[in-house]
Amino acid sequence: MKTKQLLAALALVVTAGAVQAEVKVDGFLQGLFGGRLDEKNPTATEYTASESRLQLRLEQVGDKNEFFGRMDFTYDAADSAGMDWELREAYMKARLGNNFDLKVGRQILTWGTGDLIFINDVFAKDYRSFFVGRDDQYLKAPQNALRLEYYGGIGSISLVWTPRFEPNRLPTGRTLSYYNPFVGQIVGEGYYFDVPRPASKFENSEVAARYSRQVGGFNTAFYFYKGFYKNPLGAVMVDGQPMPVYPKVNIYGASMRGQILGGIAWVEGGYFDSRQDRDGDQPLMPNSSATWLTGFERQIATNLTVNAQWQGDLMMEYDKYKVGQEFMGGYVRDELYHLLTTRITKLLHSELVTLSAFVFYSPTDEDMYARLNAEYKYTDQVTFALGANIFDGNSPATSFGQFQRNDNLFFKVTYNY
Amino acid sequence: MKRISTLTGLVLATGLLWTAALAQDAAEIMQKSHLAYYYAGNDGQTDVRMTLADKKGGERIREFTMLRLDKEDGGDQKYYTYFRQPSDVARLTFMVYKSATGNDQRWIYVPSVDLVKPISADDKNSSFVGSDFTYEDVSGRHWTEDKHTLVREDQLNGKAVHVIESVPLKPYKGFAKRLSYIDKTSFLPLKEEYFDDKGVMTRILRADKIEDIDGITTVTIRSMENVKKGSKTTVAFNSIKYNVGLKDDIFTERYLKTPPREYVK
Repeated sequence: MKTKQLLAALALVVTAGAVQAEVKVDGFLQGLFGGRLDEKNPTATEYTASESRLQLRLEQVGDKNEFFGRMDFTYDAADSAGMDWELREAYMKARLGNNFDLKVGRQILTWGTGDLIFINDVFAKDYRSFFVGRDDQYLKAPQNALRLEYYGGIGSISLVWTPRFEPNRLPTGRTLSYYNPFVGQIVGEGYYFDVPRPASKFENSEVAARYSRQVGGFNTAFYFYKGFYKNPLGAVMVDGQPMPVYPKVNIYGASMRGQILGGIAWVEGGYFDSRQDRDGDQPLMPNSSATWLTGFERQIATNLTVNAQWQGDLMMEYDKYKVGQEFMGGYVRDELYHLLTTRITKLLHSELVTLSAFVFYSPTDEDMYARLNAEYKYTDQVTFALGANIFDGNSPATSFGQFQRNDNLFFKVTYNY
Repeated sequence: MKRISTLTGLVLATGLLWTAALAQDAAEIMQKSHLAYYYAGNDGQTDVRMTLADKKGGERIREFTMLRLDKEDGGDQKYYTYFRQPSDVARLTFMVYKSATGNDQRWIYVPSVDLVKPISADDKNSSFVGSDFTYEDVSGRHWTEDKHTLVREDQLNGKAVHVIESVPLKPYKGFAKRLSYIDKTSFLPLKEEYFDDKGVMTRILRADKIEDIDGITTVTIRSMENVKKGSKTTVAFNSIKYNVGLKDDIFTERYLKTPPREYVK
């Protein structure tokens, strides 16, 4: 697989050389260094990041189509002490007639309305990058996909087909510890495991669809997804041992977003139909749930923007879940889960300095996660950033509580070319 | 005694009428100027190079392509911006539905995460991409928002100008008073001086180069000097085209995500 990707990358570079006159090349060089603040973290390394990264972007644009490639080369000095690389994007985009757009290849996909809360955005996320201070663009993991979009009088329709299921990238115990329910504690390197992806079969491919249109001043959308939970939320018994899996799910959702009260407001909801546990009586599979979020953002003073969000998640068949969890001695969440978030962004010094804080807090799970970041654009090319990721929680089994040993501080310098 | 007061009355009345006429003239001039400056042609397309110089001589460059479509002269407009430089914002697109009288709507598209996001646009007085220009300077402050008075007729760089004082009708953070030097022939502002509520000059706009583009007199280089901060932003417009036939659907999410390559190469 890696060899194929490398060949593709080389082909990109060679093609770029051949038609250099029409190809735009840019990117950045970056150093990211981060250390953990918690001595009791059971990871093998004290660094949460020590990497040098080169991103190379190639673009070729025609009247009706365009090619774009983005390739990352990294050297990890803390963990594997090795060179690595990833094809982040490599796609062709074409306009077909007046109403259709097609995008084929490796790509980053986003939709929905939430700020760092995703309901109908079922595209792969990379929390390993997110939690150690990599740039925001790395929260999104690429997918090999085909996207067809229709734009017309009735509104717009997007169809995304991902032949091979692409899961979220979660902490694995190497540089970031996590809670392993099979062991019942926060674990590090020794419990590193790879969750098997659903077999590469046509019936296992992911389908995501969105229909949207403008209703009054509001952008209104409906969503559908058929695929798998992006996190390994379920398990199956193999030879008497539980093995984690990505359970099947359908998601039906809707959202609205628009300008109101001098700011932007959004609401979004989704029903997660857990296809392998519709009755809620499989204790190793997630229950279906209805989840929604609402948020509001406003500029409250010059260069100072604040937003707030509330997410609720109502579990179906809660009684059966509770019995099952209590029987297994696992963490029992509330039937109705709440998550509150707020983001504050302040720009200073002619927008060269950006200070931001993003805090997640769940009153029902009693856990929190704070992202703090200060960035200074020293020149158009050079940017310095200093930041921290702080986790806390009463239980090691909750969404953020499980990462409570991973508090870290990072420094980043980027040279754009 | 009665004669005197009648005379005084007459003089006063004439004076008032004269002032009213002048005020009307001033508003008319500002309207003409606004239309000439911000509504040239039915639509427009240009490459922009913005140079931001700070007081220590450090320079930053912003390069983008801008498309504009007018609904009607002096009315609502749509703007589309595609960024080329610096490299950390390259390919980013930005769209504004400018309302002549109400609040604008703004959207940003960040290609590295495929994210379309509406942005809260309450403050027209905030800086445009960190420059000395505000959003309002880019798209224009509607002439009906200020009270205009013709101060005098004058000469500026060998050109005859109307000098007009504008005071915001509602208290406004951007300025307390503005002096505009409007070219009598083209009605373009050759210079604008902005003053704060203490009467201190804060910023100066200058038309540095004027050219004829498709028969339309156009400021092709302009600069904004921030007197307080000692910084200066110079904007050069290249490959300007008017009446290119932009359609409404260019200014939608579709083209925010995929730039219209016939206009944005």
